[in-house]
Amino acid sequence: MLVRFWGTRGSLPVAPTAGIVRRKITQALLAADGRQFDSADEAEKFVDGELSFATGGTYGGATSCVELEAGNGSYFICDMGSGLRQFGLDSMRRNSAGHSKTYNFFLSHLHWDHIMGFPFFAPAFDPKAKIRIHAGHPDAEQALRRQQEEISFPVPFDWLRADIDFVQMTPGETCQVDGVAVETILQHHAHSSYGYRFSDADGRTAIYSTDSEHKPDNMASEAAFIDFFRNADLVVCDTMYSLADSVSMKEDWGHSSNLVAVDLCHQAQAKSLALFHHEPTYQDEDIQRMHDETIRYEELTRDGSALDVICAYDGLEVRL
Amino acid sequence: MEYAIEVRDSAVLIRVDGRVDESTWEEFGAGLSDAIRQAREAKLENLVIDLSELEYMSSRGLRVLTVAKREGDEAGVTILLASPNEVMSEILAISRYDTLFTITYDAGSKR
Repeated sequence: MLVRFWGTRGSLPVAPTAGIVRRKITQALLAADGRQFDSADEAEKFVDGELSFATGGTYGGATSCVELEAGNGSYFICDMGSGLRQFGLDSMRRNSAGHSKTYNFFLSHLHWDHIMGFPFFAPAFDPKAKIRIHAGHPDAEQALRRQQEEISFPVPFDWLRADIDFVQMTPGETCQVDGVAVETILQHHAHSSYGYRFSDADGRTAIYSTDSEHKPDNMASEAAFIDFFRNADLVVCDTMYSLADSVSMKEDWGHSSNLVAVDLCHQAQAKSLALFHHEPTYQDEDIQRMHDETIRYEELTRDGSALDVICAYDGLEVRL
Repeated sequence: MEYAIEVRDSAVLIRVDGRVDESTWEEFGAGLSDAIRQAREAKLENLVIDLSELEYMSSRGLRVLTVAKREGDEAGVTILLASPNEVMSEILAISRYDTLFTITYDAGSKR
């Protein structure tokens, strides 16, 4: 199973300004300290080996969209955030090389940042494409049609040429989708959200759990999430806020923290955690600091096997 | 995890050691509720939690502190965190709980 991140930002797409790029270049030049590089390869080695990711790269700014390469050759995509546009274009490149045109979507919920990419999803105009949209919400079709109404978008949903189906999923039931067993869990979020557990024939398991709040006055309910995350190879988890923010000014905003994610994964004996749904006001330095601190917290509270804490960014690929 | 509650002249002190995590958070929460009740009955305004002997506190324990803070606010009892050791100082900083609670490095002065 391969997990590929096309959009990792929470709530709102963001892009670096000219000033931010200028600051990265300035930091890189200072770090180079007058060195000369004889080739692009040599310069890239310097970027990869000696610059922080926040200086030499970026976590990106597209909203939630995560692809899983698994099963019998069709596509598996979690959420339709703004990262979906780039996935759609890339999948058309793959389709031209013979890839199946069946797209299996799994929607965490129907808020804008998780569906805004669909009107720009080019394969939806391909009459040979098959699009199955799985959701826990019975009103998923209504949400997707509504965002393409004339007041919001010039192309109505009915103009899409692909064969589009909606499949409602139910917590507690396992759905077999093109060689992958998929389960769902109800999560605490405005208008509800759903997490997904994907298990392939090779025994690899990935969890997608975003926009899920774990509140202080309902911690007993976390046992269900520990069971859902149990022994997963990768848990992609909403880590938008600090724990303090999630229980104070941002309580009831529907999101979780890096510390809760680590604790759930520790208890579930998951192998790796991907920090996800990054706060849109965070600069790359802020996200990197959060990643470093989360690694440290995992070390401080570890009581068994080590949990590999990775930080999702647009373009990251994780092989399970 | 073990805790001991002591009613002093100026505050109620609760000392906690071991780990506050998924297996002990409920017991720790019950202890904090008891300490708040004792502070209210003794007409004391402060509950001091001595963190010097704590091995670590996971998010469960930290969120129990939040629940206790709300309970304390209703009872007119302020919760202070005292003498966090190195591990607890790091956890309070990483969680940003150092912005939610007053931290004193001299638990004795509050006793």
